[in-house]
Amino acid sequence: MSTELDASPMKKHPLAGTRMSGADVVVQVLADENVDTLFGYSGGAILPTYDAVFRFNDKHRLPNGKSPMSLIVPANEQGAGFMAAGYARASGNVGVVMVTSGPGATNTVTPVRDCMADSVPIVVICGQVPTHAIGTDAFQEAPVSAIMGAIAKHVFLVTDPTRLEATIRSAFEIARTGRPGPVVIDIPKDVQNWEGEFTGTGSLPLHGYRARLHSVLNNRLDDHACERLYKMLAESERPLIYAGGGVINGNATKPMRRFANAHGIPVATTLMALGASDTKHPLSLHMLGMHGTAFANYAVEDCDFLITIGARFDDRVAGDPNNFAPNAKNIAHFDVDVSEIGKVKNVDWHHIGVLSRDLDDLLAYGERIAFRKDFTKWHAEVANLKDKHRMNYDRESELIQPYAVIEEINRLAGGQAIISTGVGQHQMWAAQYFDFREPRLWLTSGSMGTMGFGLPAAIGAQFAHRDRLVIDIDGDGSMRMNIGELETATTYGLPIKVVVFNNFGDGMVRQWQKLFYQGRMSGSDKSLHRKDFVKTAEADGFKFAKRLDNKDDLQAVIKEFIDFSGPAFLEVIIDPDAGVYPMVGPGLSYAKMITGDYIVSRDTPDDEQPGPSEMF
Amino acid sequence: MRHVISVLLQNEVGALTRMTGLFSNRGYNIDTLNVAPTDDPLVSRVTLVISGSDKAIAQLNTQLAKLVDVVNIHDMTLGEHFERELAILKLKLQTGGYAKVIGLAKEFGADILDDAQISCTIQLTGKPAMIDEFVRAAGRIGELSAVARSGSVAVSKGEVTLSSYARHHRLTG
Repeated sequence: MSTELDASPMKKHPLAGTRMSGADVVVQVLADENVDTLFGYSGGAILPTYDAVFRFNDKHRLPNGKSPMSLIVPANEQGAGFMAAGYARASGNVGVVMVTSGPGATNTVTPVRDCMADSVPIVVICGQVPTHAIGTDAFQEAPVSAIMGAIAKHVFLVTDPTRLEATIRSAFEIARTGRPGPVVIDIPKDVQNWEGEFTGTGSLPLHGYRARLHSVLNNRLDDHACERLYKMLAESERPLIYAGGGVINGNATKPMRRFANAHGIPVATTLMALGASDTKHPLSLHMLGMHGTAFANYAVEDCDFLITIGARFDDRVAGDPNNFAPNAKNIAHFDVDVSEIGKVKNVDWHHIGVLSRDLDDLLAYGERIAFRKDFTKWHAEVANLKDKHRMNYDRESELIQPYAVIEEINRLAGGQAIISTGVGQHQMWAAQYFDFREPRLWLTSGSMGTMGFGLPAAIGAQFAHRDRLVIDIDGDGSMRMNIGELETATTYGLPIKVVVFNNFGDGMVRQWQKLFYQGRMSGSDKSLHRKDFVKTAEADGFKFAKRLDNKDDLQAVIKEFIDFSGPAFLEVIIDPDAGVYPMVGPGLSYAKMITGDYIVSRDTPDDEQPGPSEMF
Repeated sequence: MRHVISVLLQNEVGALTRMTGLFSNRGYNIDTLNVAPTDDPLVSRVTLVISGSDKAIAQLNTQLAKLVDVVNIHDMTLGEHFERELAILKLKLQTGGYAKVIGLAKEFGADILDDAQISCTIQLTGKPAMIDEFVRAAGRIGELSAVARSGSVAVSKGEVTLSSYARHHRLTG
């Protein structure tokens, strides 16, 4: 055990042997992990570490006068969590949150679960009441390790200060390795105030975790596995790649595109993988699933070989797993997490390993055997699907259609802007109508579906990419959830662009009530609707805050909005009846997809209703 | 099917909660649970008995193997193994009942720990099915006033140990 603690023969840390407080240890390890931005809200139990951040920045001030470790203070700790998540999603680096005990920690529960569900690496450092007070119902005490243990990738409660340094280092390791995820460190105040020797090296043993991780890292794709996969490809006439968030998280976009393009295999991506394939590429089918493009879903129906890469047959993609890709004679599955193999759907071939390396190895094998297969007939079918069943909407409507707004923003952004969203109809419209030419441009709460994600995620992303155009596409309901963070954007002078599609209510809920509950608008007939969003934005310091409610102004206002140099806010009054189409009802197969009035359907689906227990 | 799962678990704060919580989070009940430190005080051995289809339990085991605190894990029911449980019973007896207790103890190979004639305490070690039978038989000769069972513990047959198991998930297939 002790041998592993000091296993890495690194250069000696310049501060090794220095005596410092636990709080200083925390900040020094953060600095060693190259953390340049912290998101958090202070309070009693984390004050020593906040003080250590101040002293660290004071001591190591950059030549331009700026702090090497910016401390970004939100309106609510949930905002801090989503800022860190936006930062992590946009940059690929671990996002860091620092909050106090009790309510500070519990306010981060939602972002921690959100990060777990979407495999996003963050580290949350929580102050805790002093060790002697734990379990006494102390002021601002909450059982953080028990609460977070059920939802995070891992949680540490540091009771032995001599293990604090190794624990912080290990938390980063766990967050970023394997399938990434959130790690919570609960640090009692007396541990922050403890004084001891900084060693500058070492991490916790983590025997089982490291052993399992190494077996995955060492699992190279061998010739036999490659041969079997290429045999399936050779026997296929209609191969399709189904790419998921793992392609983005595993930084495997380039190898995946190389593999797909080398053999001419069309790519459909999940909501989480938008940007994995260049949506402007002729063989990109954009998004599949419940609200995927009709042509992507038809291609899934038609394909005879499905190559699943970093995706997990989630219920929003494979609502009816038995009838998902019904014509696929073979299904292959690449992942980093062995528990996903066969969890939802049995596959004919699988490999657990490092995605970027494995895809390169696979293609190298294909080149070595000079694999050739003519898929031009399939390409023509795909082109025909994309043309005939393209996304569309009521272009003649007097009312502003949300799709038209996104198309116009997309024309200016060119698939190069970072787009974040809340959750609901606007999220799906953004997913469907924006182009994404690169990975890490699309930030959305996919699995958890957390309303209020968009604004703080955009703020976090702007800190990761100071020069990129960052746009939050939000809904009126989602915006309200974390509306306090509007002030965070102006306080830090972030030039983010915030769009609120206002349909005066929860549009997605209304859509489901119309489709599945005979129009009984329970709750959605009581939606909040008194807020003047423009005044709100102005009150929070937005110099650009406008309302777009006339279709004729659409182009001019959007241009002015996007071109504005600082934080800008735009409320768009949209057609309240605009729906999200196509739609595959929950629990149904793609054969039951409805496409609405403006997208051409291939079949006439019977109007089968989903079972009541599928209603989620 | 009934599965006996053995886990080596690092003795970290909350590790046991995280492990047992995983079962309820994924909709399973634990039938029996036994936890105690091994020769290494940093590592505990946990034995769980749980019912479910082979496929569902295999999936649950891959989820268990994702917990950072889990050092190793094996479904004993996949191979030959020894499974034992300890039970301590307390019986309230009528006049003349004690003679029957002596007969019962002899039949099952149980030990009488406390031979106060109106309330006696008996200990038995054996396979869970045998313990079940013993509890029923004891209930017929007196009033059961306490039933304390340890839950199953298990080791596999032969030289193989839990720490020597190769991870049984196929990473390529």
